[in-house]
Amino acid sequence: MKNNIGVYICQCGSNISDYVDVEKVRDEVSKIEGVAIAKTTMFACADSTQKEIIEDVRNKKLDAMVVASCSPKLHLFTFRNVAIRAGLNPYHYVQVNIREQDSWAHSDHPAEATLKAIGLVSAGIARVKHSKALKSIDIPSRNAVAILGAGVSGMRAAIEMADMGTEVHLIEREHFVGGRTSQWSQLFTTRQSGEEVVSGLYNKIINNENISLYTGAELLSMKGSVGDFKAKIRIIPRYIKADCILKDNQELLNATLKAINACPVEISDDFNFNITKRKAIYKNYHSEFPECPAIDYEHCTKCGECAKYLDAVDFEQKEQEVEINVGAFVVATGFDPYEPEKGEYAYAEVENVITLPQFKRLIEMNEKELTYRNKAVKNIAYIYCVGSRQTEGKNNYCSRYCCTSAIHAAIHARNKYRDINNFHINRGIRTYGKQELLYEESSRNGDIYLQFDEENIPVVEKQGEKLIIKVKDILTQEKELEVEADLLVLVTGMVPRKHSKVSDILKIPLGRDHFFNEIHPKLKPVETVIDGVFICGACQAPFNITETIKSSLSAASKANALISKGKIELEPTIAEINPEQCSWCGACTEVCLYDAIRKIGHNGKEIAEVDESKCKGCGMCLPVCDQNAINLIGYTDKEIESFIDALIS
Amino acid sequence: MNRNRKIDFMINDKDKTEEYDVLVVGGGIAGEEAALNLANQGYKIIMVEKDLSIGGKMIHLSKVFPTLDCAACITTPKVSETARHSNITIYTYSEVKGINKLNGSGFMARVERKPRYVNEETCTGCQICEEKCPVFVQDQFQYDLVGRKAVYVPFSIANPRIATIDMDNCILCGACEKACPADAIDFTQEKEEIPIHIKSVILATGYKLFDPVVIERYGYGRFKNVVTAMQMERQLVPTRPYNNVLRPGDGKMPDNIAYVLCTGSRDATVGNPICSQVCCMYSTKQAQLLMGALPMADITIYFLHVRAFGKGFEEFYQQGRSMGVEFIKGKIGKITEKENGDLLVRYEDIREGVVKEAEHDMVVLSVGILPDIIPEDMFLKERPELDPFHYVMQVDELSNPAKTSMKGVFVAGAASGPMDIPDSILSAGAASSETATYLRRLS
Repeated sequence: MKNNIGVYICQCGSNISDYVDVEKVRDEVSKIEGVAIAKTTMFACADSTQKEIIEDVRNKKLDAMVVASCSPKLHLFTFRNVAIRAGLNPYHYVQVNIREQDSWAHSDHPAEATLKAIGLVSAGIARVKHSKALKSIDIPSRNAVAILGAGVSGMRAAIEMADMGTEVHLIEREHFVGGRTSQWSQLFTTRQSGEEVVSGLYNKIINNENISLYTGAELLSMKGSVGDFKAKIRIIPRYIKADCILKDNQELLNATLKAINACPVEISDDFNFNITKRKAIYKNYHSEFPECPAIDYEHCTKCGECAKYLDAVDFEQKEQEVEINVGAFVVATGFDPYEPEKGEYAYAEVENVITLPQFKRLIEMNEKELTYRNKAVKNIAYIYCVGSRQTEGKNNYCSRYCCTSAIHAAIHARNKYRDINNFHINRGIRTYGKQELLYEESSRNGDIYLQFDEENIPVVEKQGEKLIIKVKDILTQEKELEVEADLLVLVTGMVPRKHSKVSDILKIPLGRDHFFNEIHPKLKPVETVIDGVFICGACQAPFNITETIKSSLSAASKANALISKGKIELEPTIAEINPEQCSWCGACTEVCLYDAIRKIGHNGKEIAEVDESKCKGCGMCLPVCDQNAINLIGYTDKEIESFIDALIS
Repeated sequence: MNRNRKIDFMINDKDKTEEYDVLVVGGGIAGEEAALNLANQGYKIIMVEKDLSIGGKMIHLSKVFPTLDCAACITTPKVSETARHSNITIYTYSEVKGINKLNGSGFMARVERKPRYVNEETCTGCQICEEKCPVFVQDQFQYDLVGRKAVYVPFSIANPRIATIDMDNCILCGACEKACPADAIDFTQEKEEIPIHIKSVILATGYKLFDPVVIERYGYGRFKNVVTAMQMERQLVPTRPYNNVLRPGDGKMPDNIAYVLCTGSRDATVGNPICSQVCCMYSTKQAQLLMGALPMADITIYFLHVRAFGKGFEEFYQQGRSMGVEFIKGKIGKITEKENGDLLVRYEDIREGVVKEAEHDMVVLSVGILPDIIPEDMFLKERPELDPFHYVMQVDELSNPAKTSMKGVFVAGAASGPMDIPDSILSAGAASSETATYLRRLS
């Protein structure tokens, strides 16, 4: 039993001390038997306080520590490190949360909050008295990673991790890599093309022997845990032999074109956001990599027409399942553009209403003159925040990239074609940072900006051939103005990927905005609550390309730090079986979520055994054990009972 | 290491040259993040900070948007992790001079350590010297809201938390020397230069705040109750000077506070046409904190566009609106001071298309951010190119966002452009990643 305990009560600036009388808490808990020293401090986490704690431990020969401050999610490891530096076993430290669970929760009742704090700290002291010295569990880790999604984010992370010596499995659902970036022509603010960026990354990937690229591949299932995940991947056939590389091979290119021509199946081309059609065999764009055509598994009728021209067609290819063994996952599955509802600003009802991504493809496809459905386009209206900043509807968030992207597209259109007039019907332009220059350039070009409120959204009407957009413009004292347009572009935002099974399989939590959620935007911006699963790019939140790359490089470096050392230290606070008491009934295995308990022979009987690398210490198995043969290390019955006794006494 | 030695600097004196893998210039959140990432991979880092403490601007902030957790709670653990990491050597109150690229073997440079006139090893930060010092000057770490002494510990959560003598204001009375129980005061200290050899450089020099004195019509510097947002920020932190929110003119608790967004941003007349990216959100945040600190106060934010673009920002802006913060789309023409210190704000109400006047008892200028210009003498010959706004230019923004025009020199955080804290942290992650790749290719 520990009986020389140091207790530190943090004011957290004023976060705690505004509501909790920390002096009173100190005075009360210093009376508890076994407490050698009790202090208050403005910031327990500050370096000066950490030093003070270490000195106290050394000078007063403290045998255990309690810090009452914020959530252990924030600073458990900070103070465990203090304990280590002071020469204590880190498990002789208990953190008591008097901020999230007390001062913040009871800011209206300071007197009661103080009483609660006294109870919580006393309980923490009671628990630390029974604490045992523990050592972390080292488990081996595979220096291999599965990266889901080969858009710019996934590709950039793959290159970085492969360079660091990690075995990379880059898994792309489509037959071509590059994601959304391959669909964009000119990019802000560097004015490079999507093709340039994607081809640069792709060439590095195929020349890197540490990277295995799987296209047409999808994550099916995942087992195991950090350091040792086993993932099943389903790969659908491309129906084209892999050696059919069109690059610098005019003959093969001609044959491919003929094969595409011969295909009788026509479907919407999702590369062009469905404003054009493509065939079931396809490789239509320079920015599609690998430079090998693909046959659409779902829509191909296997009529064999294409095979007459292209020898590489191979209908013998079969769907495959492969299993890979990796230490970590980096999820870079990107976003979907928001698809407006039918009738939202006349979308899908009036034909010359399109979305921003469609408009960007339209600019790419029209060389000399801008036409849509064979009609010349001169006046273009843009309605902003479609599918973003919704007051009714679930997308409350701002999609971050669309203001700049729309303005950039408008400038591009004006520079590319003659006599274009742009009308930006917006809800306040958000060209943050240096992107402001694009807004300025567009204003100088003579683009017209009208602004509306969420209470008065524009009305789109079709009058004969004309499209009329009525706006209550707040920049002209809410006069109702009419914009006559040949084309209406709905500036659609980003939404999380549809049909993404990834979050179900990997159990990544979603935020309020339904994007994947990081642990903390500042402390752990690319980490998730699932150990070994990292996120980056637009699957996490709307980002532009630069921001995406920054997050993907961050994720690469954090994932590498975790798995490259060959071992991972795990918390020793896991379940423990008492072999004398256990008489194998199997109840514990049934409730275990992590497949961590198995049956073994022991002194002539069957008992349960815990797999240290898999057990998370969740405690599910404890209450189902009839024999009370399971203990949770660090949360033993003795520790918890004394904790509760102190709390209620 | 004896930090008080005097050395005659000679570039070819190999014995005295300190060797590191990476020089990180700047000890703010971006520099710390980049340094920690690299140090955890085993690289040896030298971090040089020109100020008295690491922690950058972030350590001085109150709560941070959009999560409203306290800045100190997030940044001090990073600060102390950086300070005690065995692979990181920190020189505070020091400047980097003469970075010179060698042929194929990294860079030479000098670290110029300014004298603190206090022995770093022996000072305990007890602040007895402060009590005895008779000289009062304005406290730059409280953004001039209150005073400090000529010998002073910069602020309570500074790292290192030791005293320094401000020789510009010291009268050499010797009171501190007599009082110091650790015998740490040393008036004989001189500037010291340490030659270093490094393989790569990360510029994490951050930003400085726009000085609104140049916009005369706002009256900053003349009207006492016109303050900058950083001065308001300091009134909202736990270590705040007045332990309350007071207007500086007469110490009255304000009950009608105005914010002027885009002060020094998006304004070609002051030479800064770009948007600062953070002011809309920090003003919205301060407004929310003020509603807690001064429940009866009215808060008005004059804006052109509210740029709530990041994860959770729009929701945070809407939360401010629903709490009762008034957002007025308006451009400020002029601020005048009344006899009682209240302020008349003349503005164009853009929605109504008329010029109006409103009375407030305190005006907060939401000042923008500008690059903290890299001094001429930091580089000897070749230097990284800057963009038209004097930020470090990113030459391959879409694939290698930390890459500069100079091989082996990388950029992190707001040195490359206006940036909030989450973006700076991701940017530093990219910089450390790109630097590590560069170092691996060298070996």
